[in-house]
Amino acid sequence: MLLRKSIVPLNSDATGRFLPWLVAVMVYLAALALVSAMAMGKIVTRWDHGLSGQITVQLPVSESDLSKAEIDTRRENVLKLLLQSPGVLSANHIGAVETAALLEPWLGRSSGFSELPLPDLIAVEIDQVEPPNTAVLTARLIEIVPGATIDDHQRWLGNLLNLARSIEIVAALVVLLVGLSAVIMVVFVTRMGLAVHYQIVELLHLIGAQDGYIAREFQGHSLKLGFFGGLVGVALAIVTIFGVGKLLGQADTALLPALTLQPLEWGILGALPFASALVAMLTARLTVLRTLSRIP
Amino acid sequence: MVRFQDVSLRYGAGPEILDRVSLDLAPGSFHFVIGASGAGKSSLLKMMYLANRPTSGRISLFGRDVASLSRHDAALLRRRIGVVFQDFRLLDHLSTLDNVALPLKVSGQRSDEIRKDVVELLTWVGLADHLDAKPATLSGGQQQRVAIARAVVSRPSLLLADEPTGNVDNRIAERLLYLFEELNKRGTTIVVATHNESLISRFNYPVIRLVRGEVRLEHAETLIRSSDMPARPPVEPGDRDTSLPVDGEPGSAG
Ligand SMILES: Nc1ncnc2c1ncn2[C@@H]1O[C@H](COP(=O)(O)OP(=O)(O)O)[C@@H](O)[C@H]1O
Ligand SMILES: [Mg+2]
Repeated sequence: MLLRKSIVPLNSDATGRFLPWLVAVMVYLAALALVSAMAMGKIVTRWDHGLSGQITVQLPVSESDLSKAEIDTRRENVLKLLLQSPGVLSANHIGAVETAALLEPWLGRSSGFSELPLPDLIAVEIDQVEPPNTAVLTARLIEIVPGATIDDHQRWLGNLLNLARSIEIVAALVVLLVGLSAVIMVVFVTRMGLAVHYQIVELLHLIGAQDGYIAREFQGHSLKLGFFGGLVGVALAIVTIFGVGKLLGQADTALLPALTLQPLEWGILGALPFASALVAMLTARLTVLRTLSRIP
Repeated sequence: MVRFQDVSLRYGAGPEILDRVSLDLAPGSFHFVIGASGAGKSSLLKMMYLANRPTSGRISLFGRDVASLSRHDAALLRRRIGVVFQDFRLLDHLSTLDNVALPLKVSGQRSDEIRKDVVELLTWVGLADHLDAKPATLSGGQQQRVAIARAVVSRPSLLLADEPTGNVDNRIAERLLYLFEELNKRGTTIVVATHNESLISRFNYPVIRLVRGEVRLEHAETLIRSSDMPARPPVEPGDRDTSLPVDGEPGSAG
């Protein structure tokens, strides 16, 4: 009926037609980057929890010509010392068979293990709240067994944390760049729309339309395109995530937590179309206001 | 109502189009602006409807200095000025009804409140049968009436018309001027730019003549005397046909 339709016929021209698809691609990339970063965070937390409760004591055997009995006594002393130390919950010798089993994946099933100078390993469970001071502990161990070392997995965990942090930074950069490209695209599409419909814009201005009134014509259109593109992008991202999850599930990697989404992650994915709609709307508005400010 | 003080205008680094023009148009007055093509008539009107700002000098409208208006206030001021553009500037994708309703919609009035007024006005200009027509399907004369209806729909205090007689024959042009005269009698201040001197010689209104960027105020009567055109016999006010020809073509409303 009377004046229900928009005054600037943006729907009927081609200027914005490709925008939703570009937005879809960008939101897709942003969603994958965010989910990867969050999955990496989960892996790190899990490994951190699994490993930080443990340290491994290594007693060298290679350079010594100790008898088996001497090695056993030495180990008994070490175990006694460990169990008396504050912060130590338990200490267990990892036998030669177990050590060999640990090495098997790397060295293969061979009969030559007994000839290899494998170190004596002691698995120590420590109190995570009040862990023992590893430097002090090492010093005291060396008094009993020269060359004894403690591996608290920190170096390895540290590397893992660095990796996780890098992935988070990369993800943040991806989201930022994707957002920036989306803004630039919307600016161009809006400018194109303003150029195509300049006659109408100028007429509205001359009959007394406020700048905000004219901007609303464009921002509403942009909001729709941004929202639609965002929906498509997130839908594609969810399909991809479940696809990857399926593949990983088949490979049965115990190291990776299942790629199932938590409520927070669902929330973040669900918010992306609204975010892209909002960005598109605000960008269009500012672009129109900026252009209008040059008309006296 | 409209006051120019030493107003000069040039486009970019070009020549002076208007050179220290001073004017004072009283509320309720009727003026013609005449001058050859390129004399600066459109430029003068553009400054009156705030589409252009002067290079120097002061313009005040409705007692307010234009230079000191905020964008918001300038928009409000534009709503009190109706403009009939030479090229009509109708929106092709909107119906007659929607085109005419545009100024009311822009000023924030609700669609259902607008409708009655708009239909009434379109009936007055003889377009009641074309409410839903798109501009492209209308004749030139009909499009002009849509443009006029849009210019007056918000009951502006100031009506500016740029060459409204340019695209129509003399007969329709004359009727058009009677229509403006009618609006003027109801209190609207009117400025009509035209290069058709023979036409305005039939009306007894003051004339702003643009010559080489300067203005000269004349009275139409002097034009009648200086013109080679035979003066039209005076018309009794009651005989005047202020309704526009219903189908826009000459003779159809004789
Ligand atoms: N936007 C513009 N930029 C540059 N020159 C212009 C512009 N508009 C009008 N002019 C020039 O100003 C002069 C007066 O033009 P105009 O006001 O349209 O005259 P008229 O309406 O009397 O024919 C002309 O020489 C025209 O070329
Ligand atoms: Mg002109």
